[in-house]
Amino acid sequence: MLRNRRNEGLFGLALVAPFVAIYGLVFVYPTIKLFMTSFTDAPLIGDGNFVGFDNYARLPSDRRFGTAVWNTAYFVLITVVPGTLLAFAIALGVNRLAGRLQAAVLALFFLPYILPVSVVYLLWDWTLNFQFGIAMYLFDMLGIARIPVFKSTAWFMPAVGMITIWWTAGFSILLFLAGLRTIPTEIYEAAALDNAGRWSTFRRITWPLMWPITALVLTIQLISQLKIFDQVYLFSVGGRPNDNMVLVYYVFQRAFQSDQGGRAAAVAVVLFVIVIVVSVLNFQLTRLSGGRDR
Amino acid sequence: MPNWFKLTKAVLLAGGLMTSVAHAEETVTWWDFFGGGDGVRMKQLVADFNEAHKGKIKIDATTLEWGTPFYSKVQTSAAVGEAPDIMTYHASRIPLAVKQGILQEITADDWKTMGLGRSDYAPATWEAVSIDGKQYAVPLDTHPIVLYYNKDLLKKAGVLGDDGKPKGMDSRENFTATLKALKAAGVKFPLGSVTADGNFMFRTVYSFMGQQDGELMTDGEFLAGDSAKKLENSLAVLSEWTKEGLQSTYTDYPATVALFTSGEAAMMINGVWEVPTMTDLKNNGKLFEWGAVELPVIFDHPSTYADSHTFALPANKGEEMSPEKRAAVLEVMSWMSKNSLFWATAGHIPAYGPVTNSAEYKAMEPNHTYSSLTANIIFDPKTPLAGIAGPIFDVMSNFFVPTLNGEMEPAKAVEEIKAGLAEL
Repeated sequence: MLRNRRNEGLFGLALVAPFVAIYGLVFVYPTIKLFMTSFTDAPLIGDGNFVGFDNYARLPSDRRFGTAVWNTAYFVLITVVPGTLLAFAIALGVNRLAGRLQAAVLALFFLPYILPVSVVYLLWDWTLNFQFGIAMYLFDMLGIARIPVFKSTAWFMPAVGMITIWWTAGFSILLFLAGLRTIPTEIYEAAALDNAGRWSTFRRITWPLMWPITALVLTIQLISQLKIFDQVYLFSVGGRPNDNMVLVYYVFQRAFQSDQGGRAAAVAVVLFVIVIVVSVLNFQLTRLSGGRDR
Repeated sequence: MPNWFKLTKAVLLAGGLMTSVAHAEETVTWWDFFGGGDGVRMKQLVADFNEAHKGKIKIDATTLEWGTPFYSKVQTSAAVGEAPDIMTYHASRIPLAVKQGILQEITADDWKTMGLGRSDYAPATWEAVSIDGKQYAVPLDTHPIVLYYNKDLLKKAGVLGDDGKPKGMDSRENFTATLKALKAAGVKFPLGSVTADGNFMFRTVYSFMGQQDGELMTDGEFLAGDSAKKLENSLAVLSEWTKEGLQSTYTDYPATVALFTSGEAAMMINGVWEVPTMTDLKNNGKLFEWGAVELPVIFDHPSTYADSHTFALPANKGEEMSPEKRAAVLEVMSWMSKNSLFWATAGHIPAYGPVTNSAEYKAMEPNHTYSSLTANIIFDPKTPLAGIAGPIFDVMSNFFVPTLNGEMEPAKAVEEIKAGLAEL
């Protein structure tokens, strides 16, 4: 059958047009506006005067910005790799189960993921509240001093990190499980015939074959944890928000509480650049290091 | 063809009917942030209003989350013309709102239409809703903090005076002695304090600063002169109580109320809006004998921090309010003010003078007992940075929590607060 190239091109264009239009409206246009706003002294609502790089120039000496960068990096450090490895380990375990039991266990691990963040907050506040938390009664029984988990800077990030892993691991487990199922059983049979032990089977077969999935999970985790906001906001409201500051929270604080849209936009641009650089870097690195074994 | 004609006629008729109904009853959309015991009272007031204005005005009320969520939503919705017709607002947030241009002025004509005016309010309350001589809200109440106490526990410890009020309300030494007596009598927490929430503790700390005539902001400068020292003194008292085990530590707001109502804390510094909680519990036979009084005088003279709930009209961008709507909204504010005696059962002190001067109000307890504090009220400094969920709250809160729980020295906290405020 003969095809009309030009018609086909037009047809394709018509098909993607709705997407391009929406993408332009809700992503490209706001992003351009964001960059423009970051060079002004605009309040939250309305326009401001052009101030050049002032909003960026003051960031290095801004202590709250410093805290936010540090806390965000710290949070990424304690959640991304540990969370990914934990999900992998759980997926390996779940993979050994079969039938209904597997479905049931998987459901249990996946359940927290479907909870809204506000519910996650309430659950853990009931558990770890200093005066009435269930865990505190446990501490009392064991003779350990109570810990104000969400009110002390030393405990805050690790606790929120742990809760985040608990909350989001379900999705990563699902990805890993899907990956594990694509590895043909013949490979394992062949390895068994060659008398390969459990560890070397894992190291030589499962790990390298799973690498693309691991890289994917790492990247997804990295991007979402760089954008951490909800949990930190909920757990620190009223308490010590400025000590637990993370980048998105700082954007929110500058924009909505201090009414400084321009300065908030500058911080958002910095975060935008960090996310792009780090995720591209991460994806390239994981791809390269994965290719080495092949 | 005749069918078409009939149909069109019917549609037009139906449309006409609907508009005339809409004209007859004006719907006023309303947002508030009253979620606790006072929320129940406000819903009652709204229902009463709707009943009294049946067929004329109907309030369509929505309650949103207090604090940051409420004010974030108001700011953005006014900017796109999606704000309600009327909303409740904290007087402390008015300077920022006016700077952002999200409030409509309440004009002299409006006041006249409502039958309200300057002479109906205490000068400080009127001043709190005025910016450059223009008014931007109608005050509904003032809501200070008070000292709640458990009469049974105080009597057991021998610190309940003959007048039914706690002993030692006149000085730091005497009040600390009262707390110690309670501790000695086996009370777990003599004083329940919201020590996990610096936002809340701002009220207590600022009251104590006021007792020394300290100012948060003097001519645009934060903690000028010896005000910094006065802030340090205030923090020192509270952290001393923590160190001596007289005060609950790392306690958030709901936990504080729970500690008090369960009898684990003998006294509690909290807002008057918890009065309905106590009244309701007591009526159900689930509470001890209790009372509420003005804060103790820890420093030179009595002083209590208060904010004021007001009614404000959002300046909806691109949407002019129709004269009918405006008349309806003015009627809402006028009616609510004049019927605010019921609002006093929520603990708040009504702003409308004729109500607080009435014999009915003077017979209300414990409202009447603590109403003496109205003479000693201080409000937030008038700056766009102040107010509920504002940046000043955040900076101070951040250092109040470690200080009040014994992690940080008061002097260090004041230093950090000054640095933090300078960065705003």
